Amino acid sequence: MKRFEARDRVAAIFAAAILFAAGSIAWAENPPEVVRVSWFGAAGPWILGKAQGTLEQRLGTKVRWDQISSGGAVLTALAANEVDISLLGSPPTTAGIARGLPIEVISFEGVIASSERLIARPEIKSMKDLEGKRIAYPPGSSSHYGLNAALKSYNVDASKVKLLGLAPADMVAAWKRGDIDAGFVWSPFTYQMETDKGHELLTMKDLQPYGYFVWNNYVVRKEFADKYPTTVVAFLKAYQDMVKAYRADPPGVSRIIATYLNQDLKAVQDTLAGRDYYTLQEQLTPDWMGSPETKANAKMAKGFADTAEFLSTNGDVKRADIPKSFATVINPTFAMRAVQ
Amino acid sequence: MSNTRKLLISAVAVGLVILLWFVTGHYQLMSRLLLPPLGEIAATAEELWTDGYVHVPLWQHIAMSLGRALAAFAAAIVSGVPIGLLMGMFPGVNAALDPFVQFLRPLPKLALIPLIIVWFGIGELSKFLLIYLATVLTIIVAAAAAVMNVKQGRIRAAEALGVSKYQLFRYVIFPSALPELFIGVRMAIGIGWTTLIAAEMIASSSGLGWMVINASSYLRTDVVMIGILLLGLTGYALDLALVAVQRVAVPWMGKD
Repeated sequence: MKRFEARDRVAAIFAAAILFAAGSIAWAENPPEVVRVSWFGAAGPWILGKAQGTLEQRLGTKVRWDQISSGGAVLTALAANEVDISLLGSPPTTAGIARGLPIEVISFEGVIASSERLIARPEIKSMKDLEGKRIAYPPGSSSHYGLNAALKSYNVDASKVKLLGLAPADMVAAWKRGDIDAGFVWSPFTYQMETDKGHELLTMKDLQPYGYFVWNNYVVRKEFADKYPTTVVAFLKAYQDMVKAYRADPPGVSRIIATYLNQDLKAVQDTLAGRDYYTLQEQLTPDWMGSPETKANAKMAKGFADTAEFLSTNGDVKRADIPKSFATVINPTFAMRAVQ
Repeated sequence: MSNTRKLLISAVAVGLVILLWFVTGHYQLMSRLLLPPLGEIAATAEELWTDGYVHVPLWQHIAMSLGRALAAFAAAIVSGVPIGLLMGMFPGVNAALDPFVQFLRPLPKLALIPLIIVWFGIGELSKFLLIYLATVLTIIVAAAAAVMNVKQGRIRAAEALGVSKYQLFRYVIFPSALPELFIGVRMAIGIGWTTLIAAEMIASSSGLGWMVINASSYLRTDVVMIGILLLGLTGYALDLALVAVQRVAVPWMGKD
């Protein structure tokens, strides 16, 4: 009887082990054939995954990188189901959410400090000098938001300023031809203007004291996230590791990315250092994104609400479209699984 | 078919489309992101009417676009009609200019934008030139063809009566060519109007085309659709105005 019981126990444990393994395998769904990721052609720690091909390895499938000119165009691509995961600034994210774009925000990428700036001609020494001048911005982008916030905060008369919507590359071309006097945009375009007699007038960080909090986050189409949660978790784990790699060796990572993107090393160094990064663990606190329980009152949800409010004063976002709470589109569960 | 009957059929056709739109919105058959329900469009239209778009009144956007287009149209008519008439009258002129006209005409004007920007910048001149180019080429071709299509019989009859070259042109060729010329101008203006959005993609800060482009970068499909509707209605109004002018200037049209 005893021997039978012993075999029974072993068999039971063995069966449980097989069931558990089967359960885990069933939990990990097949990755998609290709993951379509959109980026802006700018440097960021996550570009390490593009430069070294490590993102594909980590996701276990092909990654198609689509370079899109600015946030407004990303929204259209997401709406048309052309991309699955996007890097997106908080203002266009807010605009998309207000219109019912079926996306989820899965984490911060970084808080924008000096990676987006207002570059102006040498004779423009202060914000007030902008009156009577031509200023360019990419429509629907975080820089568009920053420009409007700057004009308001520094009491520049908007009716005296000529605002021109230009995609970043067109902005640089216009700058070189002398068609514009200033432009609010991100790197490497800011550096291209700076090296051509431009100087920095303002950074996004200068707007924080006035209450404007602008960040980059990662968004995923809800359909994709529901179908491939493991891929989304793997993406966040990879992002986390790349931020760690950058923090451990900023000059080295900058060099790799600068070489890969064929951009000026100093420009890339400053761009990478121009955002504040937070680990996923930090992001899960109410100080940032929060957990499923705390996200409704965390900084991100509040940030979206404030952003929506400002966008609606301009008329870009319809007041009636602003949801009561942005918490429903913030999904910290992937980040939670990524830190386990 | 009587006019009332035709009007009725048109009204029913448009009514059916509106009904389809209403049903789609009411039963949420399509995401409101892709096709905003009629109610939302109506609400946005009201907002645009009272508050304007981005604090600029709607009429100002319409006026801006019309101003740009009309300036280009006027220049295109004033320059294109004489060139086209000359091409029709003198085979030498035709041989010299036709290769350029025929090459440029089918070229998508969108493709010319980078070139125009590099040469002329991003100001009003570039926008004017784009619309001008799109319009003038069609007018030239229409004017040349109108002259070449004047019935030989008429010309011979006039020549038999012993007219000078000038009199032949003034009293036979020009009036005979006028109907076809007007049709060409109507078509050209229609084409030029559609180029307006392309022109306003070149760094604008106002105008109907700019409104559509700016709204689309915020996924405001409701504003986009209203902008497109206004663009269509304004283009239609322009055409109606031209037809009215044609009735007064060319009363012999269609009465050959």
